This record gives sequence, C-alpha cells and structure tokens, in this order.
Amino acid sequence: MIFLAEAPPGTHPTVSVCGAWYCTFNYDSLISSAIAIVITLLVGFMVAYRLSHGVPGKLQMLFEFLIDYVRGLIRESVGEGGSFIVPLAMTLGFYILVANWLDFFPLARPLLHPANADLNQTLAMALVVIIVVQGYSLRVLGVRGYFRRFTRPFEMAIPVRILFIPLNIIEEVAKPVTLSLRLFGNIFAGALMVFLISSLITALAGLIPSGGLGTGLGIVLTPIAEALLILWKAFDIFFVGSIQAFIFTLLTIIYFGMAREGLEEEGHGTHSRPASAAVETGG
Amino acid sequence: MNHAIVLAGALIAAGIALGGGAIGAAVGDGLAGNATIQGTARQPEAQARLQIIMFLIIGLVEAMYFINLALGFYFITAVASGVK
Repeated sequence: MIFLAEAPPGTHPTVSVCGAWYCTFNYDSLISSAIAIVITLLVGFMVAYRLSHGVPGKLQMLFEFLIDYVRGLIRESVGEGGSFIVPLAMTLGFYILVANWLDFFPLARPLLHPANADLNQTLAMALVVIIVVQGYSLRVLGVRGYFRRFTRPFEMAIPVRILFIPLNIIEEVAKPVTLSLRLFGNIFAGALMVFLISSLITALAGLIPSGGLGTGLGIVLTPIAEALLILWKAFDIFFVGSIQAFIFTLLTIIYFGMAREGLEEEGHGTHSRPASAAVETGG
Repeated sequence: MNHAIVLAGALIAAGIALGGGAIGAAVGDGLAGNATIQGTARQPEAQARLQIIMFLIIGLVEAMYFINLALGFYFITAVASGVK
C-alpha cells in the first residue's frame, strides 16, 4: 500500500554533524522543506519573469488578486506604513500553502515528511514573525510607548493597569506559541490520521481469513479503503492545509495591527483602532 | 505492573482530552454556523463574505482540537516508549 507509514509520525530520522543536540537535524523535514522552498521560488520567479502590463496570465491574475487582498487586510488592520508586511506575509502564506499541498503526493516516509509537521519549522516561522512584530512595535511606539502597551487596558485606573501587566506579558509570550502550535498541530494530526487509517486497514486485513472468500473480500475492500484514505487526504490537504496557510498569514497581519495599539490614544495616529480586537485571542 | 498502570493512565487521559476537545470544538463550530445562518437570513447578499469568515473561525476553533489530538498522541507514544 503506497500510503502505509512504517514508523508513527512524530519520530524523525536525525543526522548529527557534531554530536551535540544543537547540531542534530531532522533531515526528513530539511529535505521536504527544501523541495517546498524550491517550488515556491520557481513559481514566484516564473510569475515575475512572465510579468506583463497587458492582459495578465492566469497565474499572474491569481497572484495580483492575492496581493491585493493581503494589501487590503493590512490597510484595514495596520494602516499606512505597513506595506513592508506584504512580502513577509505573502511569502510565509505561499510557502506554507506549497508545503502543505506537497503532502498530497505519497511521500517516501523515512526520507520525506510533511514539512510543517515538524515543530522546529513552524516555531522558527512564528519566531521570525514575532521578532519583526516586536521590532515594529518598538519603532512605531517608541520605548516608552512600547512598555506602556503592557499596561492595557488604557482606560482603566493605574492600580488596575498594573495588575494587568502579567496578563499582557503572558499574551505576548503566548503569541508565537499558539501561532506555531496551531500549524504544527493541524498538519501533524493530518499525518497522524493517515497513519491511523492505514494501520486500521492492515489490522482489518489481518482479520480476514486468507484464501477463497477472504482473498475476494480483500480485493474488494482494499480499493475502498484506499479511496477513503485519498478522500481524507484531499480534505486534510486542500481544506485544512489551505485554511491554515491563510490563518497564519492573517494572524501575522493582525499581530502587526495589535503591535501599534496605544498609538491613537496619544494622538499620533489618525486611524481608528484595528478591527482585529475580536480575533485577538485566536486560540 | 507499574508500567502497565502508567500506560493505562496515559491512554485514559488521552481519551478524556480528546473527548473534551471534541465537545468544545463542536460547540464552537455550532456557534460559528449559527451566527452565519442568522447573518445570511438577515442579509442574504452578505452570504459569500460571511462564509469566508465562518471557515476562518472554524479553522481557528478546530485548530485547538487538532493540537489536542497531536499532543495526545505525542504523549502516548512518549509514555509507551518510555515504559518499555
């Protein structure tokens, strides 16, 4: 069976350069993310190479639509001066999309692995986003405004605001954790379900008596089981994978919007508060 | 004997975590669907926009459950390999 995984997901083959923990690599994640990076770059350069001001091709149209959409989101929740977020958010979202969609193909398990089913990679992306967000917050609000932001909500009395400081610190720390765990959990659970379904199929095949009727039953049941597996994979990759890529992009933008909270109260900005406050817990 | 108790405890804990997570995810999905239906009934022309938001919220809600599933399995395999 092509989808059958030998080892349960979550165990990675590792290669060590010097023997210590900090230079031990999960090479399956490295290989599959390298493939995703190459495809992302190829598609990006192909669009850039075929760029035309006249009638755009289909791929260019799709990209223009997506960039327009992301730009609109940034204008709504971050405001002016947020155009530097477009490349960051678009690249992350498109890379995650490609990496998730690659999982649809039957991967040679010990060598390849859904790239985002490795916490190391999702955590790295989330950390990059959060570091840039904190830097942006410092730059926009200044040092004083940056630390003042930890005493939200601003309309309360001072003693109450001091009580809120630990909560705000926890919120800031929780952002990269939830951002990375959400993507990791979804993709890992998808890989896990594929593993469980295929091991269920082999367990069922063991129950069927061999020879005569049993062989016929096996011939009938195996395509049905494989069709079920493909159905689950299609749902998992094209629905969950796309939505998670979109959510990662959206939350990146929302975090940038939240990073400039407190700007309006001091009378610097002309924009209303980001409309993203309702989504800010985000899981 | 001790190992068997640890393994049984891990399996029961994973079962409880999965059950509780499923209840929460189902309630959250239901709330999102409820709000979408109400919004569509009030303003049928907003259906396409509401559906995008609904799928977004469902993605956020279900993420919690999938994290639950993944970490539960992770802990079970960790316990199972630890007690061997």
